[in-house]
Amino acid sequence: MATYLEFIQQNEERDGVRFSWNVWPSSRLEATRMVVPLACLLTPLRERPDLPPVQYEPVLCSRPTCKAVLNPLCQVDYRAKLWACNFCFQRNQFPPAYAGISEVNQPAELMPQFSTIEYIVQRGPQTPLIFLYVVDTCLEEEDLQALKESLQMSLSLLPADALVGLITFGRMIQVHELSCEGISKSYVFRGTKDLTAKQIQDMLGLSRPAVPIQQGRPLQAPEQPVISSRFLQPVHKIDMNLTDLLGELQRDPWPVTQGKRPLRSTGVALSIAVGLLEGTFPNTGARIMLFTGGPPTQGPGMVVGDELKTPIRSWHDIEKDNARFMKKATKHYETLANRTATNGHCIDIYACALDQTGLLEMKCCANLTGGHMVMGDSFNTSLFKQTFQRVFNKGLNGEFRMAFGANLEVKTSRELKIAGAIGPCVSLNVKGPCVSENELGIGGTSQWKICGLDPCTTLAIYFEVVNQHNAPIPQGGRGAVQFVTQYQHSSTQKRIRVTTIARNWADAQSQLQHIEAAFDQEAAAVLMARLGVYRAESEEGPDVLRWLDRQLIRLCQKFGQYNKDDPNSFRLSESFSLYPQFMFHLRRSPFLQVFNNSPDESSYYRHHFARQDLTQSLIMIQPILYAYSFHGPPEPVLLDSSSILPDRILLMDTFFQIVIYLGETIAQWQKAGYQDMPEYENFKHLLQAPLDDAQEILQTRFPMPRYVHTEHGGSQARFLLSKVNPSQTHNNLYAWGQESGAPILTDDVSLQVFMDHLKKLAVSSAA
Amino acid sequence: MADLYVKPGNARRGWNDPPQFSYGLQTRGAGPGRTPLSRRPPSAPQGPPAGAPPDRPPAALGAPPLGPPGPAPSARGSPSPAPGEEGGATGGDVPAEAVLAPLREALSACRPAMQKQVCDDIGRRLTALGDAWARGKLSAPVRRRMALLVRELERRRWDAADEIHRSLMVDHVNEVSLWLVGVKRLIAECRNLPTAEPGEDSNAAGPSPEVPVPPGAAN
Repeated sequence: MATYLEFIQQNEERDGVRFSWNVWPSSRLEATRMVVPLACLLTPLRERPDLPPVQYEPVLCSRPTCKAVLNPLCQVDYRAKLWACNFCFQRNQFPPAYAGISEVNQPAELMPQFSTIEYIVQRGPQTPLIFLYVVDTCLEEEDLQALKESLQMSLSLLPADALVGLITFGRMIQVHELSCEGISKSYVFRGTKDLTAKQIQDMLGLSRPAVPIQQGRPLQAPEQPVISSRFLQPVHKIDMNLTDLLGELQRDPWPVTQGKRPLRSTGVALSIAVGLLEGTFPNTGARIMLFTGGPPTQGPGMVVGDELKTPIRSWHDIEKDNARFMKKATKHYETLANRTATNGHCIDIYACALDQTGLLEMKCCANLTGGHMVMGDSFNTSLFKQTFQRVFNKGLNGEFRMAFGANLEVKTSRELKIAGAIGPCVSLNVKGPCVSENELGIGGTSQWKICGLDPCTTLAIYFEVVNQHNAPIPQGGRGAVQFVTQYQHSSTQKRIRVTTIARNWADAQSQLQHIEAAFDQEAAAVLMARLGVYRAESEEGPDVLRWLDRQLIRLCQKFGQYNKDDPNSFRLSESFSLYPQFMFHLRRSPFLQVFNNSPDESSYYRHHFARQDLTQSLIMIQPILYAYSFHGPPEPVLLDSSSILPDRILLMDTFFQIVIYLGETIAQWQKAGYQDMPEYENFKHLLQAPLDDAQEILQTRFPMPRYVHTEHGGSQARFLLSKVNPSQTHNNLYAWGQESGAPILTDDVSLQVFMDHLKKLAVSSAA
Repeated sequence: MADLYVKPGNARRGWNDPPQFSYGLQTRGAGPGRTPLSRRPPSAPQGPPAGAPPDRPPAALGAPPLGPPGPAPSARGSPSPAPGEEGGATGGDVPAEAVLAPLREALSACRPAMQKQVCDDIGRRLTALGDAWARGKLSAPVRRRMALLVRELERRRWDAADEIHRSLMVDHVNEVSLWLVGVKRLIAECRNLPTAEPGEDSNAAGPSPEVPVPPGAAN
């Protein structure tokens, strides 16, 4: 068993790929009977400090419909200088530069350890990265001040040659001209009327010379960079002026009467930002960074009126079809998001307010373009400030952890087709023989565009086995998939990362145990969860839960060992043993349950779930719980109410929150001040240990999680109590005859009850 | 170089606001060989929950067990070094002129190569720095780090100076935002001076992370 775990881990480290199945069922029929689809989690730009890029172009298969990249799985005839494509079997000549190759003198891309390789290529002019700040000024003074400081600070973190621009908005929208001369000018737009890209470009004087210029306007210089430079300037040139400009920003001057919300024109402001970049820098790496402190309240994209007595829509309103502005606003932002994705730019949303800000309507802006979504209470919090700083973090090799304009192409062996992808991407609608008609996620294509990504960005990619039943195991005994990611590196270089993987086929009738042993239950749980969350965006919650349940029951029927109608005989092998537990926690998670969350919060949680890597996603599904006590070193414990003991400190990581919980006795000891007595220094150390561990997580996580420090009986203990499996509740507490763990006041079923039902259903001959 | 410290979050404005880490702590990153806290216990309980183990302390409150002050039993294996609080003792007594004079000197060295307007702008910001310093508006860590910055500038270690500027900007933006940007520009201009001899860090810079072209391949 250890060997498969090692194999899975090695593959993840080397290639950034985790497959649900690591031995593939060789026919379509058998594959569908496996319940969990053949799929993978792909982290296209996974950090590989040990993988320096090569500085030449990849060699492509000459068949026009294939164009797969030369890789270690290709058969090579060193004498004839030929290579056979492992996807289409085309024989190709090596280019002249490869004349010197031999068995002992191989280029990197043929060596097995380079199943993932990165090329630096010379394509087109290198343009600097672009950061366009879109700043809400309808903020409280304290928030605006903090935001201004964060923005000033960011000028020191940006790459020196990056272009930066500033749009501010409230009731009106101001596009600021940035110049080194003393006088600052801005163009003012009304926030009530949407403008087409053409109108925006005309009004800003960005029209290309070919377009007729409005009468009465002075002729623009023909050089396009000169035109755009009025609004987008290199940081190193205008940092002093921009610092002053930001420092002088005032709150929106329009009076807000009692009982009203400020008029906030977020929809038009974003539209202008998108239009500005569309006209000046299409297809270059650019971030539009929206900072907003409340909901859009006027013009296209408004999500609530300005009357404070009308609250912003809740889940209840949405279910009752009572959310007046939702559909229209969503449509506005979707149009913008799609335009942005077409231009290859991304949109970040930093929303800081105590009430909702319209993330539900605006989510597509970040979700379709690979932008960040950050939700906080105020800009004057450490949560916002540090999350924002981390956008500009650098990786192990000292380069910014951001990449732009990626085009991900997937190629498969003939026995496989591509069903779709789920992640922060849009379809490029590239049809082909390897594209399945059955869609899972964003399907109907073999290529996707990811406008903004970092080394953690992870896509789920779903496949379909198309080999016919009873046909022999496909040629070579292995199936292969190639992922080709072309992107703009933060250094503005164009790069291509190529990952080629292969897995064995097996006949599911005679070799089921091989397939079973190679099941990756962690990957499978996340892949199924992504499908579930994707469905939850368009379907009713209970339908999604029923679908998940049905899949789980079918999986247990297929892979459990049991006697018909005897639940007690039911067993799952080790490679499946955790899977039902993941599904149990997923059902209770905020990704599928909207109860107790606002529509904005649900959008926020789902946004992060759809892009994180496997480890982080699994933490989101089933939080991690560590126990600290005098009985031994810290250890991971079950996410179960029985783990809550008086003489323990617990550390829980839910990804969005870090919770430290002192058990009853520990809390009493702390109140009694034992930690301050020299003879009880070990107690002081015990209290400190979880703090140190929490700090390690807090120091690296993006976005910064909330940090809860609580104790037995504390009101915030609810964060822990709502996540643990309620194995002891007020209903069964005294049945066990002894007190252990903490009873949870809930009517939710426990994992034990869930498993009992699952076993019953799985072994039932009626099912 | 930069200070390592943790400040509490802003509980007044943010619900459960996390602590704030200094620039030095953030960029230092995780220590080597760190294992993430992502282990899980092997499997779910199948039966009723087990009773408490026999060695639990009695329900009535006793004292915690006495013990030698062993190292903190951090789940990551090695305890993280306790970051020192900010506010070094050495910071207080740097005279303003020791920082300002070299900066002004650097500015006049750059003047011939720069636009007058930019020069004046930097000069104005240096004056603002002097004023703030004179009126005691700058905290000890800012003064101390500015002294370090100037020392690096004098040694022509541009990258190190730039890094100190960044740490000041991140950790003390409200104190420094208006004038530090002038110092930032000054560092950049000094670096670009044609007469400047190569600074120490141009030698220290690591090799670019490119592998030699594989044998037999292009180039």
